[in-house]
Amino acid sequence: MKDLLIAVGQEGKEKALSRFLARLLETGAVDGLVVAAEAAPGVITHVLAKDPRLVERAARPLAPVMPSSAAQVVSEVVRRRPSGKVAAVLRPCEGRALVELMKLKQAAPENVVAIGIDCAGTYDPVAYRDAGGNADGLEPREACRVCLNPAPLEDALPGITLGFIGLDDSEGIFVSVHDRLDPAVAAVVDELGLASGEGAGRKRSKAVQALVQERQGAYDAFLSIAGISGIEAFARELAACTGCHNCRVACPVCYCKECVFDTDTFEYETGQFLRKAGRKGALKMPSETVLYHLTRMNHMSLSCVGCGQCEQACPADLPLFRLFAMASRRTQEIFGYVPGRSLAEELPFTTFREQELEPR
Amino acid sequence: MGSGEEFEPKIVAFLCNWCTYTGADLAGVSRIQYPPNVRPIRVMCSGSVDPMYILKALLDGADGVLVGGCHPGDCHYVSGNYKARRRLAVLSAILDEFGIDSRRVWFSFISASEGALFAKTVGDMTAALKALGPNPARALWIA
Repeated sequence: MKDLLIAVGQEGKEKALSRFLARLLETGAVDGLVVAAEAAPGVITHVLAKDPRLVERAARPLAPVMPSSAAQVVSEVVRRRPSGKVAAVLRPCEGRALVELMKLKQAAPENVVAIGIDCAGTYDPVAYRDAGGNADGLEPREACRVCLNPAPLEDALPGITLGFIGLDDSEGIFVSVHDRLDPAVAAVVDELGLASGEGAGRKRSKAVQALVQERQGAYDAFLSIAGISGIEAFARELAACTGCHNCRVACPVCYCKECVFDTDTFEYETGQFLRKAGRKGALKMPSETVLYHLTRMNHMSLSCVGCGQCEQACPADLPLFRLFAMASRRTQEIFGYVPGRSLAEELPFTTFREQELEPR
Repeated sequence: MGSGEEFEPKIVAFLCNWCTYTGADLAGVSRIQYPPNVRPIRVMCSGSVDPMYILKALLDGADGVLVGGCHPGDCHYVSGNYKARRRLAVLSAILDEFGIDSRRVWFSFISASEGALFAKTVGDMTAALKALGPNPARALWIA
């Protein structure tokens, strides 16, 4: 790791960052850049940028909105016949989700230059748009308020980490360069002749630690409110589900090309519906929404990075972030698994130990 | 179930073709008596039992679900039973977190020669489920 510093002038942090990112495209060190940009006032979207001037002008690497997870965007770009180098600006949760997608063979690690960036939290995209891109008076999303990963995990992917937590503009933007960073990108960073960022790095680390400590209490309190006891209480939490499956679409780690819930496994004949309704007295329609959410937890909670995109996408405003956080905390601790921590760490469902988990 | 009648739990059993199903068959041909509460479904491997099927049985009102596979080291497909063990551990953890009784889900290693063990397992499970009482999801229309 090499610690450096990007100076921030009158123009502010976001412009300084954008200039740095544009430089990667300008020099040809990367073939494309995935970054957030402002498409209309208050409307933030990811773009795959080629033109460095556009990046300087419209990139919003600090936009406080996550319209979708950049992990999904990167996966879409470098999944089929991957080639070249695509740099991507990734929030901590997006970076961790991308590591999970790489393990699931949904993105080619050798074609990605990860640019992790500190996250100050995000707002609901619709509220942010309706406010014309002015965050004053908006409250960050629940997932962000209790997020325990405001800073990227620097070892997870061989890239660049950009940090600003605990640093004001006059102190600059902290840059950490991974030892195995792509040589062409490393050369661009070298050419910039950035000052050493050791002091700023230490200050940021402390600030990140303090922030995480402060949030740990909020996180624990959040998960312990309304302990759910029993299937009836659990089903009531999900009773408003309309079965739209938006949560699955927005989930950065739910990756199946064809979800089993979209197959004819769940296309019942009239008689089957009537029999089931007869057994229970009535059948909530659309049916099997509880089965859907429980199944998704079984399939994906080990890789759940807690980004809260499921809840953001939910038209019924179900407490999906909390339910998934509750489930994933339990399932991840079985295997001591931390999603997104390391590419080398095996997905728990793809491996086993001969002796474990006894007695059953 | 009328008043005074004893509650008879329904068990859906996913049994591996190579070990537990054959073990159940052996229990039958050996004329070993065991409770008739189990509805066996033959599957090729315990590793092929997606938690979704277990959950579906539970939400549709089964009082218990038994998954039977080969003993460690004996899987016909090398590691399916080990993978099943991990899936079942995850399923149990999720059910427990939401207060849904994971004691309704059993996972047992029963070989083709263990007819008696199969009969005993079904007997034990039936007794345990009688003690737990009917699955509350059975009459729950919102689930």
